[in-house]
Amino acid sequence: MSGKLNVVLTTLLVGCALSVVNARYQRNHLVNDLEKLASQQRQLDIDWAQLQLDQSTLGKNERIEQIARTELNMAPLSPARTQYLMEGAR
Amino acid sequence: MKAGASGSRVAAAKGVAFTKSPVLAVRLPDWRSRVVLFVLFAAFAALAGRALWVQAMDNQFLQKKGASRYMRTEELAATRGKIFDRNGMVLASSLPVKSVSAFTEDIKGTPPEKLRELARLLEMPEADLLKKLGSDRSYVYLKRQVEMDVIAKIDKLDIDGLDTRKEYKRFYPQGEVMTHMVGFTNVEDVGQEAMELAQQKALAGQPGSRRVIKDRLGRIVEDVGMQREPHDGKDLHLSVDSKLQYIAFNSVKDAVEKFHAKAGAAVVIDVHTGEVLALANWPTYDPNNRAHLTGEQLRNRVITDTFEPGSTLKPFTVALAMDKGLIKPTTLFDTGTRPYMTGGHPIRDTHPHGVIDVSTIIQKSSNIGTTKISEMLTAQEMWQMFTKVGFGQAPRYGFPGAAAGRVRPYKSWPIVAKANMSFGQGISMSLLQLAHAWLIFARDGDIIPLSFQKVTEKPVGQQIISPKTAAQMRTMVESVVGPGGTAPQAQIAGYRAGGKTGTAQKVIDGRYSQTHYVGNFAGMVPMSNPRFVIAVMIDDASGPVHTGGGVAAPTFAVLAANALRAANVPPDSTVTDIIIPEHPLEESN
Repeated sequence: MSGKLNVVLTTLLVGCALSVVNARYQRNHLVNDLEKLASQQRQLDIDWAQLQLDQSTLGKNERIEQIARTELNMAPLSPARTQYLMEGAR
Repeated sequence: MKAGASGSRVAAAKGVAFTKSPVLAVRLPDWRSRVVLFVLFAAFAALAGRALWVQAMDNQFLQKKGASRYMRTEELAATRGKIFDRNGMVLASSLPVKSVSAFTEDIKGTPPEKLRELARLLEMPEADLLKKLGSDRSYVYLKRQVEMDVIAKIDKLDIDGLDTRKEYKRFYPQGEVMTHMVGFTNVEDVGQEAMELAQQKALAGQPGSRRVIKDRLGRIVEDVGMQREPHDGKDLHLSVDSKLQYIAFNSVKDAVEKFHAKAGAAVVIDVHTGEVLALANWPTYDPNNRAHLTGEQLRNRVITDTFEPGSTLKPFTVALAMDKGLIKPTTLFDTGTRPYMTGGHPIRDTHPHGVIDVSTIIQKSSNIGTTKISEMLTAQEMWQMFTKVGFGQAPRYGFPGAAAGRVRPYKSWPIVAKANMSFGQGISMSLLQLAHAWLIFARDGDIIPLSFQKVTEKPVGQQIISPKTAAQMRTMVESVVGPGGTAPQAQIAGYRAGGKTGTAQKVIDGRYSQTHYVGNFAGMVPMSNPRFVIAVMIDDASGPVHTGGGVAAPTFAVLAANALRAANVPPDSTVTDIIIPEHPLEESN
């Protein structure tokens, strides 16, 4: 009886030990994945900052005005050629 | 045979069997084996004790040694907060870059063509590079804040002894347009000017570190714990509006060039929230390239420079007298035709105006008129008024270097001081203080604190004059901009505008100069429901015109017209043709 119990317990013990090893292995992988994602997040943050910067640089009023004037031949509107639409007015 | 057989196993000489040999019968003393046993036991006990000691009692040393073989301390970088304008446009942002440095010993064997290529990538003369590499020190910085795409090319050169370290560089996409509002940081990422300096604490990040376990391939497999939590800097949302700022900046720049002035400045304030929407200076500088920076470029004339505004201050004395019930807009004053003597000093008007009412005193900017009104007030009353609207008071804008201006204590005012201050002499302030004070006319007589950051809550005002007086003053300052006033050039097609001109003689070597002037204009638009208070200052215009009405008023008109359009403010006037008299009235000072 006691011999059988010992066999069961030993098997259980070995099983537990192996599962600990396995769990550790899994953990290492997950931690590694987490780190990868964290560094990806950092990189995306940097990209986002870069894009915001580009937006601001490219959307600079100075640049838009210059392009509008030289490339698109636009002119600022003047009140002389503006029609104001008023409610109730003819 | 038997004896012979047994005899072969017996020592021949003694005839004794081996097992019975007397040599074997010699017994060692008992204590010797015990001693050996004890010594062995003691040695094992010592080993066990030592093992217990290093593993259980004093285990730190070994643990440290062990940890150092697989644990690493990882630095966790923190970025400086970004700065945005009120519409979420980035004004300042930090990106990772690298510094390039070299171990001078290790780099010696590098072929010269590689060094030439390195010098080209670092944008420095080859001679400079070689000089740096030939230095006595073992480690030298070659260039800091090198952008990542350049670093990638440098890495490809594969030069021994070259070292790159991560750092941050601050970028200012709006450049010179916004720099007097935003400021800049130095190479260590510490704010040096304007909001970067004022908000240094909030913007700066706090780098941290943590302990990790790395495996053979350098992958992190366990996060042991944080040593110091990293904190990124807080983002800052300014009150400034990129569009209005650009408009203000261009108006000032164009005006300085057109009127051959030394400098110019303008500020736009939101009447409802007290937010500074635009703050422009010329000359200026590019914060991304500060190699040849001069003090003139750095000066923020809106905030740190004080000047005597001149007639722009007249409405304050007049409003005070009206608020106290001493005069009405229709009260008549005889401004005469000759200089008016007060305290032994003559007060002059550029044109004789004769008998005119208070509205006309403001419209025509009569010095004698405001002098007579100031005589009805006590010095203390005037001083209180100036102090309450912030003149001579240390400003609390949260902006570095903000000037307080100067208002002398009323007890030391000479007799002529009241007259002088009524038309803005002998009292100095910054353009921002002037614009701030003008809020009392644009609002219903109360003043609210200014803010350089986006305001989310309705500010609480402090009542200075009654709403009725403020309304009356608005009518008066609107007439200034009309054809009969001193600033017809401040008219804006489609909108009603109001304001007051000022032309101050500059104080040079303690005396009022007759040739150097500061032309300024403070006003509000649109008059039906004021939205912006705008103040413009043109310093030392050397062209044919130099007065506030001549240089600052047209600048105000351009600025205001574009600002109103950009802010989608509906027109409140059907007048689209501006009438500017051929010889507009000049103001007295």
